[in-house]
Amino acid sequence: MADKSNTTQAETKDAPILIQMGIFAGVLFVSSLISAWLVAVAPKFPVPTPVLGLIILYLLLTFHIVKVEWVDKFATFMIGMIAFLFVPSGIQLTASLDIMKAQGVQLIIAIIISTVVLLVVVAYTTSFFIWIRKTVFHGDITVSETVDKK
Amino acid sequence: MSATETTIISYLGTPIFGICLSLLVFLFGQWLFKIGKGFFLFQPLFVGMVLGIFILWLMAKMFGVDVTWFYTNAYKPGGDIIFWFLNPATIAFAVPLYKRNDIVKRFWLEILLSLIIGLFISLFIIYYVSKLIGLNNNGIASMLPQAATTAIAMPISGAIGGTPAVTAMACILNAVLIYALATWLIKIFHLTEPIGQGLGLGTAGHTVGSAKAIQLSSVSGAMAAIAVVIISIVVDVVVPTFANFMGIAH
Repeated sequence: MADKSNTTQAETKDAPILIQMGIFAGVLFVSSLISAWLVAVAPKFPVPTPVLGLIILYLLLTFHIVKVEWVDKFATFMIGMIAFLFVPSGIQLTASLDIMKAQGVQLIIAIIISTVVLLVVVAYTTSFFIWIRKTVFHGDITVSETVDKK
Repeated sequence: MSATETTIISYLGTPIFGICLSLLVFLFGQWLFKIGKGFFLFQPLFVGMVLGIFILWLMAKMFGVDVTWFYTNAYKPGGDIIFWFLNPATIAFAVPLYKRNDIVKRFWLEILLSLIIGLFISLFIIYYVSKLIGLNNNGIASMLPQAATTAIAMPISGAIGGTPAVTAMACILNAVLIYALATWLIKIFHLTEPIGQGLGLGTAGHTVGSAKAIQLSSVSGAMAAIAVVIISIVVDVVVPTFANFMGIAH
């Protein structure tokens, strides 16, 4: 992995990178235990480790058990690399080239249609619920313009 | 095992080959994307996938071994190491989600309802379209979890009888298509409401969709970043339920 020596600056409150990795490792370990247990209990509804990890870390942050500066730097680093981390999942298709030969064209058509369907249906569904909030409950739908720092 | 296969394993059987190949094809993709001025088919991940598969296929043909065998024995040891890091990278999305807690706390009901109901409607359409164009149950099952991020979509795909690699390809193509078509789709379908735009782009285009949404407005951007995370959790519950209900999960 990348060089971590330049990430510990004295003026920031960020936890040392090893501590940050430790928190991630701990969350992942607990999630993998729960995930394995859930597979044994309900094999038809698997809950992958990352889903549990995501929920656990979010709850730890929201209830202020883990401070955001304890995990921020490592999280930003990992998210910045995520496109690269997807490369092996893409290349994995090499082992399934027979499936692509048999129904590759249909699969690609299905993917194109699915992408459009997901975008349009979710956007329309949301507009409907926002409309209900606005007209039925007279809710406020203005959102602050604070730009999320990437 | 033949002599060639033994030689390949001793030279290329260590993880470093897979790691180097992954880096090489991805960095080439980044370079191509830059000099191609952002042409949609030159997205680094897509280029990396196509080029990586092509190189592995070519090497297998050169050595005269089976492509799947070559992938499993030469690429996979390194690929698996990189792949494992998707676990911490995926849970890292909890941090940007937490940072937008102001929006999450105000709109959680709308976000959840929209994503759950939107996904259910989408799944029905995807299911019948896939059936109509002649996909078998394995193909349909591979199409259903694609709204989730790859690390979550793949195990779900496997659990409901799909092929995880095909689902991963779907997730990558989603991003390629959204990058290319988002502006046009938003125009022809009149998706003007910013919260809907954001949730739609995050669902359909994953992290690329949320990058696209930021260009539209900061509200869309924040909503898309939230959608990328929440839809993955929603998919985890809704897709196996749907697959069991439609009788395609084995």
